Amino acid sequence: MITPGTMLLAEEGTFTVEGPLRSIPLPFLNDIFGEENACIAESVVSQWVVMIILAVVFFVLGRNLKLKPESKRQILAEWIVGFFSGYVETSMGTRYKKSYAPYIGALFCFCILSCLMGLLGLRNPTADVSVTGSWALITFTLVLYTKIKTGGFKGYMKSFIEPMPFMLPFNIIGDFANPISQAMRLFGNNLSGIVIGGLIYYALGSFAIAVPAVLSLYFDLFSAVIQSYIFVTLTMSYVIMADADA
Amino acid sequence: MDNLGFVAGASAIGAGLAMIAGLGPGIGEGYCGGKAVEAIGRQPEASGAITKQMIIGDALAETTGIYSLVVALLLMFANPFTGMNGIAK
Repeated sequence: MITPGTMLLAEEGTFTVEGPLRSIPLPFLNDIFGEENACIAESVVSQWVVMIILAVVFFVLGRNLKLKPESKRQILAEWIVGFFSGYVETSMGTRYKKSYAPYIGALFCFCILSCLMGLLGLRNPTADVSVTGSWALITFTLVLYTKIKTGGFKGYMKSFIEPMPFMLPFNIIGDFANPISQAMRLFGNNLSGIVIGGLIYYALGSFAIAVPAVLSLYFDLFSAVIQSYIFVTLTMSYVIMADADA
Repeated sequence: MDNLGFVAGASAIGAGLAMIAGLGPGIGEGYCGGKAVEAIGRQPEASGAITKQMIIGDALAETTGIYSLVVALLLMFANPFTGMNGIAK
C-alpha cells in the first residue's frame, strides 16, 4: 500500500524516502474526536520546539535591561535588535523601519531555526508546504494592505488594468504567483535537501561515511541560511514594491 | 505489467524529465553571479548592495526551477494518477 508519505517506487523494498508529510499518531485523541487514526503533523510539533527555544532565548536576553549595557547578554540583545533595524532600514527605508523591524526579525529567527531543525533530528517545519504557505500568505496580506493603504482601493483596482486593459489576466496571475513561488521556494529547497539526502544514504548503503556529511553541510546549513535570508528579503521587497508612494 | 507498475514507471520518468528544467535557472544564476562578481570587481565598496541584489535576482531566476521541482515531487510523493480509473492506490 502506498501512503502519501512514502515514495511511490519504494513500496516493495525496505527503502523509503519520507515525503512532504510525516505524522505522529496520537491514539488517545481517537475517542475525543471520534476519528479512526488521529495524528498530528510532525512539522507542527517541531514548530512548537522552535517557539519554545525562541521564547526562552529572547525572554532571557530581554530581562533586567539597563540604560547603559553592563552584561554581555544585553550587548548581544542590543546587537540583534540593531542588526534587524539596520537590515530593514537599508531594504525598506526609514519610514518602514519601526513598523516592520519586529516582524522581519521574528520571521527571520523563526525561519532560520525552522530550517535548522533537521540538525536536531526533528523534521524541518519548512519541509511542509502548509507552513511555508502560511508565511507566504502573511506576506501576501501585507502586500495587499500596503497597496490599498498607499494607493487607495480604487488605485488598487486600477493597478490591474495597467498599463493596458488586456493585461488584466496577467496582472491577476502575477499577483497570485508571488506567494505561491515564495512558499514553493522555501518548501522545495528544504524538501529537496531531505529527498536528496535520503537518496544518497540509500545509494551508498553501508558505505555511507563522510559523503553525506558534506552534502548535509550544504543542504542543511548553507541552504537553510540562504533560503531564510531570501524569504525575508523577498518579503521586504514585495512590500516596498507594493508601496505606491515610494 | 499491471497498471500500477506502469503508472509508477511513467511517473518516475516524468519526474526525471521535469527536472531537466533545472538547466534554465542554473544558466541564469550563473550569469547573475558572474555579473555580480564583475560589478564588485569594478566597485568593491558597493559589494553589500550588489550581493543583496544578486541574491534577489537569483531567487527570482530560481522560480521556474522550483516549479519543476514541485512537479517532480508531486509525481513522486502525491501522485495524482494512482487511484484514478481503477488504478490501485
